[in-house]
Amino acid sequence: MTDTVEEPAIGARSVGARVKRAEDPRILTGRGRYIDDVTLPGMLHAAFMRSVVPHGRLLAVDTSEALALPGVVAIYTGADIAARTTACHAGSVVGMNMMPGLASPAFHGLATDRVRFVGDPIALVVAESRSIAEDAIELIVEDYEPLDPIVSYEDALDPAKPAIFEDIGDNIAMRGEMVIGDIDAAFAKADRVIRASVHVHRHSPVPMEGRGTIASWDADADQLTIHSSTQSPHMIRMLISPQIDVPMEKIRVISGDVGGAFGLKTGLFREDVALAAASIDLGRPVKWIEDRIEHLSSAGQAREEMADMEVAVTNDGLLLAVRMDVKLNSGAYPCDPFPGAMYAGSVSGSFQGPLKIEAIAATTTAVFSNKATYVAYRGPWATADFMRERLLDIVARELDLEPIDVRRRNYAVRDEPPLTMLTGQSLDGITIHEQLEQAAEIIDWPAFRRRQATARSEGRYLGLGIAAYLESAPGPRNPETDDQAGGIMGPEHTIVSVLRDGSIDIVTQQHPHGQGHETTLAQVASDELGVPFERIHVRYGDTDITPVALVATGGSRAATMANGAVLHGARELRGKIVSVASDLLEASVDDLEIVDGTVSVRGTPGIGLPLDEIARIVEEEPERVAEGTELVVNRAFHGGRGGWSGGTHCCVVEVDVETGLVSVERYVVVEDCGVPVNPAIVEGQIRGGVTQGIGAVLLEHAAYGEDGELLSSTFMDYLLPTTTLVPNFEIHHVQSILRDPDVNFRGVGEGGMIVAPATVTNAIEDALATLGVRVRDQHLSPAKILELLGTVTG
Amino acid sequence: MSTERSIGLTVNGTPWSGEVDVRTTLADLLRGELALTGTHLGCEHGVCGACTVLVEGAAARSCLMLAVQADGGEVVTVEGLADGEVLHPVQQAFWESFAFQCGFCTPGFVMSAVALLRENPDADEAEVRETLSGNVCRCSGYQTIVEGVLLAGRKVRDEGAVL
Repeated sequence: MTDTVEEPAIGARSVGARVKRAEDPRILTGRGRYIDDVTLPGMLHAAFMRSVVPHGRLLAVDTSEALALPGVVAIYTGADIAARTTACHAGSVVGMNMMPGLASPAFHGLATDRVRFVGDPIALVVAESRSIAEDAIELIVEDYEPLDPIVSYEDALDPAKPAIFEDIGDNIAMRGEMVIGDIDAAFAKADRVIRASVHVHRHSPVPMEGRGTIASWDADADQLTIHSSTQSPHMIRMLISPQIDVPMEKIRVISGDVGGAFGLKTGLFREDVALAAASIDLGRPVKWIEDRIEHLSSAGQAREEMADMEVAVTNDGLLLAVRMDVKLNSGAYPCDPFPGAMYAGSVSGSFQGPLKIEAIAATTTAVFSNKATYVAYRGPWATADFMRERLLDIVARELDLEPIDVRRRNYAVRDEPPLTMLTGQSLDGITIHEQLEQAAEIIDWPAFRRRQATARSEGRYLGLGIAAYLESAPGPRNPETDDQAGGIMGPEHTIVSVLRDGSIDIVTQQHPHGQGHETTLAQVASDELGVPFERIHVRYGDTDITPVALVATGGSRAATMANGAVLHGARELRGKIVSVASDLLEASVDDLEIVDGTVSVRGTPGIGLPLDEIARIVEEEPERVAEGTELVVNRAFHGGRGGWSGGTHCCVVEVDVETGLVSVERYVVVEDCGVPVNPAIVEGQIRGGVTQGIGAVLLEHAAYGEDGELLSSTFMDYLLPTTTLVPNFEIHHVQSILRDPDVNFRGVGEGGMIVAPATVTNAIEDALATLGVRVRDQHLSPAKILELLGTVTG
Repeated sequence: MSTERSIGLTVNGTPWSGEVDVRTTLADLLRGELALTGTHLGCEHGVCGACTVLVEGAAARSCLMLAVQADGGEVVTVEGLADGEVLHPVQQAFWESFAFQCGFCTPGFVMSAVALLRENPDADEAEVRETLSGNVCRCSGYQTIVEGVLLAGRKVRDEGAVL
């Protein structure tokens, strides 16, 4: 049985309203504080010299001429950094390196005797100014002995090619197998087996603000302060500590406004380790602000997977089982703490989504290559959803069925068996069929098919794509049997207090970088406390004050976890406030209310105690209140009863078969993310994610030549979506099944990026199918489309 | 030969003069010497538009312009738009439209929008999209930025707001 909870009235409350963002005035007036805006006394500036070859032995690095340049303070080579730091095994601090089958090579902040990708840092120059540091790089002379570049899966699996990490011995980053369900029995029942090989190309998160770090060593206090543009201040502290041999307690990480991250800024970067070592050595702050070429070559890239799939189907389009052979190209140095290789397993592990499928069998292989580090990007398991939603269309095409009908046939129905996924996770409360029908109605499926036929007769190629996903953000939970709703990230902590001036202070473990948590968390607290939104302030971004979090903001976690912690924390704080007021006003707590920041007896709003007066009494006249009273709550939240996030997307495209250009005419989203705290912010998350997904398909490609050279190191080669690529989005919400008595806010940050690539590629194939085009690659640039049309050869 | 030059310019209505290295970009002068860090550097090769400022009233990429090229000129940055605590109509419209998220690209969009609307406050959606296609935002999907610019245009037309 599903518990349903009446949706709160919208309008009288702050939650559910389009409250203007608290962040915006400072940002709009240029008073945001991003990493490059931070200047410390005595600060020096850093630049990294980077490898221009993809793979080679580093024979010599001569810094003598560069050191002589006036204004250069110090230059560190790989050997210098290796002598000052302990090697990293990515993920070791959080145990990720212990995953079965995962190779865990040792590496340092700078390359020592080997360079492993174009952009691999070789030397760190510290100078009085950034321009001097950059000038000095030109004076460093290095000598390489080139090695065979490892670029493709075939290169990596060729035992005759050199191993990128000699301590691993080959280029296998991870191997895994997975069988869930009776795979042979399911295939034996099949009417047909359909085969397809589907590829996802390498592309990148590309926040508008690149990476940046200031490491500042205080020798008197034996303390390192790191200013960073990050999603996870505490993570940096945890991960860097063993590498630089400074106790975590002596490391403080501060982060202000962050100019976008999208998963990229979750972990620790090798450059951070080198910068910290330099600052400790010099006793002065060292600042590094990445430039865009460094970013596109070295900050990290995402995706690049392929799957050979065999799917057992019935003639009416039911998927019975899938066999997958998955490969993932994880680049060179594994990301700390989440090595990219681990996402190979999620391609099969998260493949099922809403399918009623009986069995999945997979072999997975992740390889090392001479490419940039594979990093997380908005829905890091999204390739699983892409494979499923592309495969559903491949099946539809083979069986001459409508893609939406195949989905109607295959998606699980709420409250009908199977009620769980093959992994055992409950499917309780999914609304995917409601989404499908709503999307089909909005797009007017039959009318589109008529228009498409007419257009074709005029030589125009229109296509309609549909795709859907479920996201466990946080997923249904049973608090009686499972208190781990925070997953591996654990529970969420928030500190809520009344300040002396009667305002409310929220200290969150989140680290927002565009999500507007200063606004949404205050909205939630405002409703609970009866304090105006403007009197509630959210603080974050300093490990000296914030609760410890492995990942601060990421994984579509904040909606449920952070809002939930604030809701319950504020509710508990309200109880304390009312209890104090009850003594002072000699009234029953049940008769008290808080309105506009003043506690009064219900029905007598003129007479009461404002919060600043209560705070004053607690501080200055403690004898008037219960002993030990503090107007502070430190609240942990485990996720409550949770629920699924998800959505169904539809888009209409037109493909110009002369130029290969695709225009997106309509994009419809039918979303289920529970109760939106601020609908304008939710819609912004969806539009932004979908735009990244459209960009991934039509434009973006972190491209390498067969020789391992990077071909996309500027914004003139790595193309991003602009105003003219995307339409206005049509966003709708289904009536959500609310499972929790209080916290029904669900994650929405990743969904757009998870499902848009399949939606768009499905539409493009639909447009061109009558011309014999079959789409098997996610990247469909104009050149690729002309190749599929046979106009040009690949 | 010295690579320093003496220049003078007006920034947000305040005169500034001093010595600059000839290779110093206008962006670096604004962010460094003048501590006007609202102008952001997103690519430093003239594609992303985050560094857009007004030079002699026209939108210019301060990462591609040398400080010496602005000698004698009038420069307006995002810090020069608001009147005390009262936001400029474009800033106000962006706020009301939930135009942006992380905010890193925002100063560039605001300045590009001011230049566009001063030239044509009646710009329609197609013109706004075309004009802003030289600025990159990675968060918003652009729709709310476009809405913000159109709203600012209406504020000028219907409420007599001054750009």
